[in-house]
Amino acid sequence: MQRCTYSCNTADHGLSRRAFLGASTAAALGPSGFANAYANAELAKTQKRVLVIFLAGGASQLETWDPKPNTDTGGPFKAIPTSVPGTHIGELLPYTAKQMHRLAIVRGLNSVSDDHGIGEKIMLTGRKPEPAVEYPHIGAVAAKLLGNSAASALPGHIQILPKGSSGFGKADATFLGPKFGSVSLGDGKPPADLLRPANMTAESDAAREDFRRKLNDRFAKSRKSAATDAYAESFEQAERVVKQGEVFDIEKEDPKVADRYGRHDLGRHFLLARRLLEAGVTYVKVSHSNYDTHHENFDFHIEQLGEFDRPFAALMDDLAARGMLETTLVIVMSEMGRTPKINANYGRDHWSRAWSVALGGCGIKGGAVVGKTNANGTVVTDREVYSGHLFHTYLQAVGLDSSKSFHPNDRPIPIADPKTAAISEILA
Amino acid sequence: MNPPIDPIAARLERELKHARPLIGCRFDPSGRFVFASSEDDTIQRFDLLTGTKTALLGHRSWVRGLAFVGTPIAGSGEVAAWQRRQTNLHAVAGFGGTMLPPPKAAPFTLISGDYHGNLIWWQGDAETPKPIRTVEAHKGWVRAVVVSPDGTRIASCGNDNAVKLWKADDGTLIRTLEGHASHVYNVAFHPDGTRIASCDLKGVAKDWNIKTGVADRDLDAKILTKYDPTFMADIGGARAMAFSPDGSKLGCAGITNVSNAFAGVGNPAVVVFDWKDGKAKVLKPKDAFQGTAWGFVFHPAGFSLAAGGGSGGRVWFWKGDDVVSMHMLTIPGNARDLALTADGERFAVANSGGSVYVYTFTPGPATTPVAPPKK
Amino acid sequence: MLVCFLLATVVSVGDARNPLPNRIDTLIAAGFPDFTKVAAPPADDAEFCRRVYLDLTGTIPTAAEVRSFLADKNPKKRTALINSLLNTPGFIRRLMWFLDVTLMERRADAKVPRAAWESYLQTAVTENRPYNVLVRDLLSNDGSDPKTRAAAKFFLDRDLEPNLVTRDLSRIFLGRNLQCAQCHDHPSVIDYKQEEYYGIQAFVNRSFLFPNAQAPTAIIAEKAEGDVTFVSVFDKAKKSYTVTPKMPGMKAATEEKPEKGKEYKVAPAANVRPIPLYSRREQLAGAITSRDNPAFARTAVNRVWSMMLGRGLVNVLDWDHSANPPSHPELLDLLAAEFVSHNYDVKWLVSQIAYTQTYQRSSEVPATLTDVPADRYLVAIMKPLSPEQFAFAISQAGGQPNGNGALGPFRSMFGARPGEAQDGLTATLDQTLFLKYGGTVRSLIAGRPALLAKLTTDDAIAEELFLSVLSRLPTADEKRDVIDALKSAKDRNAALAELTWALVASAEFRFNH
Repeated sequence: MQRCTYSCNTADHGLSRRAFLGASTAAALGPSGFANAYANAELAKTQKRVLVIFLAGGASQLETWDPKPNTDTGGPFKAIPTSVPGTHIGELLPYTAKQMHRLAIVRGLNSVSDDHGIGEKIMLTGRKPEPAVEYPHIGAVAAKLLGNSAASALPGHIQILPKGSSGFGKADATFLGPKFGSVSLGDGKPPADLLRPANMTAESDAAREDFRRKLNDRFAKSRKSAATDAYAESFEQAERVVKQGEVFDIEKEDPKVADRYGRHDLGRHFLLARRLLEAGVTYVKVSHSNYDTHHENFDFHIEQLGEFDRPFAALMDDLAARGMLETTLVIVMSEMGRTPKINANYGRDHWSRAWSVALGGCGIKGGAVVGKTNANGTVVTDREVYSGHLFHTYLQAVGLDSSKSFHPNDRPIPIADPKTAAISEILA
Repeated sequence: MNPPIDPIAARLERELKHARPLIGCRFDPSGRFVFASSEDDTIQRFDLLTGTKTALLGHRSWVRGLAFVGTPIAGSGEVAAWQRRQTNLHAVAGFGGTMLPPPKAAPFTLISGDYHGNLIWWQGDAETPKPIRTVEAHKGWVRAVVVSPDGTRIASCGNDNAVKLWKADDGTLIRTLEGHASHVYNVAFHPDGTRIASCDLKGVAKDWNIKTGVADRDLDAKILTKYDPTFMADIGGARAMAFSPDGSKLGCAGITNVSNAFAGVGNPAVVVFDWKDGKAKVLKPKDAFQGTAWGFVFHPAGFSLAAGGGSGGRVWFWKGDDVVSMHMLTIPGNARDLALTADGERFAVANSGGSVYVYTFTPGPATTPVAPPKK
Repeated sequence: MLVCFLLATVVSVGDARNPLPNRIDTLIAAGFPDFTKVAAPPADDAEFCRRVYLDLTGTIPTAAEVRSFLADKNPKKRTALINSLLNTPGFIRRLMWFLDVTLMERRADAKVPRAAWESYLQTAVTENRPYNVLVRDLLSNDGSDPKTRAAAKFFLDRDLEPNLVTRDLSRIFLGRNLQCAQCHDHPSVIDYKQEEYYGIQAFVNRSFLFPNAQAPTAIIAEKAEGDVTFVSVFDKAKKSYTVTPKMPGMKAATEEKPEKGKEYKVAPAANVRPIPLYSRREQLAGAITSRDNPAFARTAVNRVWSMMLGRGLVNVLDWDHSANPPSHPELLDLLAAEFVSHNYDVKWLVSQIAYTQTYQRSSEVPATLTDVPADRYLVAIMKPLSPEQFAFAISQAGGQPNGNGALGPFRSMFGARPGEAQDGLTATLDQTLFLKYGGTVRSLIAGRPALLAKLTTDDAIAEELFLSVLSRLPTADEKRDVIDALKSAKDRNAALAELTWALVASAEFRFNH
């Protein structure tokens, strides 16, 4: 069945799912958000992972990765030297400064939209929104293309949110199918039904599962189908998640390590992120709120970056010490930057035209700085890139061919925007 | 003896312009100069007598703390007299055609504090003041600098949660007052010179005994602070702080009723403590203004005034024990600081548009309406 | 049974005296060589009973209902059960769900509240309103009369957005997903023309929501002017075409041209809802449901067939075009023609399908059959329970026949995303955990252990449990497993809860098999 292959067509999710379910193996049907159970054990060691740290609201590039001290836009802060000679970042990131040899900075980003929602979409999908196609988020793409390690049954796409409830999202996977949709952990809490209820014993749970399996086995003797297999298998997968439930409990962590991360929300969330990545989750996003500083930009950046700096450095050190940094791509991004112009309320407003993103770990050339803005940061003067360039870069950093396409409904949709290419200068 | 001063008589006398947004402003002890700090890291000195503007270069960051050591000159009669003569001359020669040499300024020292944590000492009356001394005073921002009533000591406060006492003459650290748990936004000497009040981001005000270095009590100014759960950040603190001349009251100015910290949605408020019993009342503007009170002073004549910004600029006046303002002036841009001359005849408001508006209470020509800033 | 099959092949399909179910079976049988030899046998009584309860009433039978059906010696008991179920409130509920999801695709109830919409559908289904009348009603109501406003939901809760409405009119009523034809003739479907897309859109392009699309109380207004023009994105010359209202394959509607200055009954003005003298939108309902528009009946019967059999004759319900022909073209034509001649009677159509051997075939794959092409109906297709069926069936399994309270959680957990067609099975982690550990399911089935505990023997408990949840008797092995589990249980009540859950969570329960 040939479907419309032109980009003006809205991706028809109903059909996407149909195509997805049409694949007649249980593996393809498999429930979702789970590990690729068929990945071999070797993969566990070399499994590539992605960690996105999302500074929600739009962190100021001038207070972070691209300081312009003593200019009309620079604000009151200093630029400080880093572990990379010649590279300076904002004074509010003293611990991060010591990590710069592990990080690359892209200083010439133009992300096109000054709107929170659209900007977030652009940064997470690597595409400008098109009325016709909903592109999957990097988390869904990573979960699909990288797959969890064989040892892990955990969802492949997890986001740790600063607050709120926990649950399952499906929209951000779009045509990749709901199995790659994000599982949200509000304030790090696992979704309510993820773990066995307190009033149910393990024995009782096991007993009812045994009986369920027996029934399914009998039923499958004469009525086996891809769908019934997928349904039965989903319970096996869920049970494996439950068995890994301790990963969500940071109290299991060495208190010394927890101290290094800091005994506060973001410290806990970073620590949880590391535990999840270590347990084989492909993609974790940690959001830090909030940087939408239209008012008192400088005071608020002191507070927010003060929360961010030390735990982030601890996280980088911890990933490195555990040998995970080689296989984990770390990205620090926002939905946009902030205006170089300081407004009458000491604030900075929404700004997409010239800002920065930092990357590190897997596939990234530590210490590299690419792109430049002018003296007061109002214009990109060298190596302007779009979110598409970053998207290619993320994929290539973790060893994927970013020129390939997905084929929902037999219709090719390039994984990354073909009008852009990877930023080779920062790839290791 | 000053003639009675009526808030309603306040009229705009001068607009002093700088190219970049201003942050703080103060009069020198004589009332001849207005010093205004700017987002370009400079401090601008405006000579009200001659109209000359001089840049003080030395800070590498923004300055909000400005304090002076010098002898207050009784009355600004000298300025007024010279100005009258100048005005007569202008009629002939036009503005700037100064014919009479200005009188020499009385010597005074300026101590300014910046957001890199430095205090700088200047000879404030020098033709072009240069840094005399730089002291690394705080880790992080210096948010306020004040001088003791006898002019011998300086107090500063900042983002290292500390209040520090310095010798005014040589910049020696006398004592660090530790006890605040968040950034210290402001500090003030009690007129009797024995105590210091300070207030932090979380609205905790402290009453320090200078001799012992102990905070004897905390005063609650928490209505000036809020943790905004939407943006997960704190907003607040005393953006201005002042004792009444008789020392019976302490005012802490800032923002209250914050519904959106990141858009600055809230209302200006001044918490006025009865210094003796610590009881507080809250001064509020009569109008439904949205923003922060950035400056506050008690006028020797018994009223108080605050300047605020957020959605335009305002100056509000409160009479006696009133809690609702009785008079209001509008200025363009956001008012960011307020200063009063020692004799109470003039006050100045620094704004986000780079202007210092100098108001006087003395009768004179009709106030020129302030033109709105051109976009 | 075999006799029936043979008879059916002898009597001519075209013979109107031959009952429709027979003719359906004949055409299905003709669709595969040696059909009667290779096809699965009829479903056994329990399988049939569960299936028909789920399909006709939206829930599983009670243990008592299964027992009574199994014990019934009447050779025509299946037909009798079908006829009886068609006259229960359950059938009304089931058809309401079907119409709701078909027409609204789980869109948010922004402008017509759910209660009003359901009440409207209930009235329509209860009086067995002909499908063409129902659709005419939906497409001609402007929402201005509060008493009948619910009928305007199709437009109102799509914000009367012209492209969305055009797409859904063509998908839902014409079986043609013309969306690709919005920008150009369809690149791969030769039948789908850009002109057709805009011909449909021309019926509604003058209409809009008044005072605006955001107002929850918005009503439909219409201008007297405004034409639809389009340019193909493929056309380098950018030639622009203007079209008037027209259903694909039909003649353009004749347009009245009121004289100048008299175009309006109520002229447009600020804060005034204009009403034109000649309404293009008013032509839509008639045009789409016209007997001259074969796509309408064809699409309707295909959707009902799919509801009953688990697969459309035209598969992918909105993909009807010459390169994707129906699996059984003659059958689709026959059903459409009969549907029209039976005055678009959905209940009648459901009954005719339910009577067929095709519907009543077992879902057990015969051992001899290795490859089962889904579109040949050799074996009954297992249908995943809809969110509504699942909610009601679990409630019933727990001893609570009314599953209305569970509809909300099940719809949000298992329902397709708004605006998407619901089909196929999804088994995502959240859905599985909802079933495994979720409080909703636990409380729905919490009542069953106490009901079972009233029985005196473990043997009786095993039977009752299987009849109550899986609508069949346990096999000997299963019965022994239950008895063993109960014997070794420290906590009998906990063991009964475990067993109940295991049955509810089994694949057998999840599907209408």
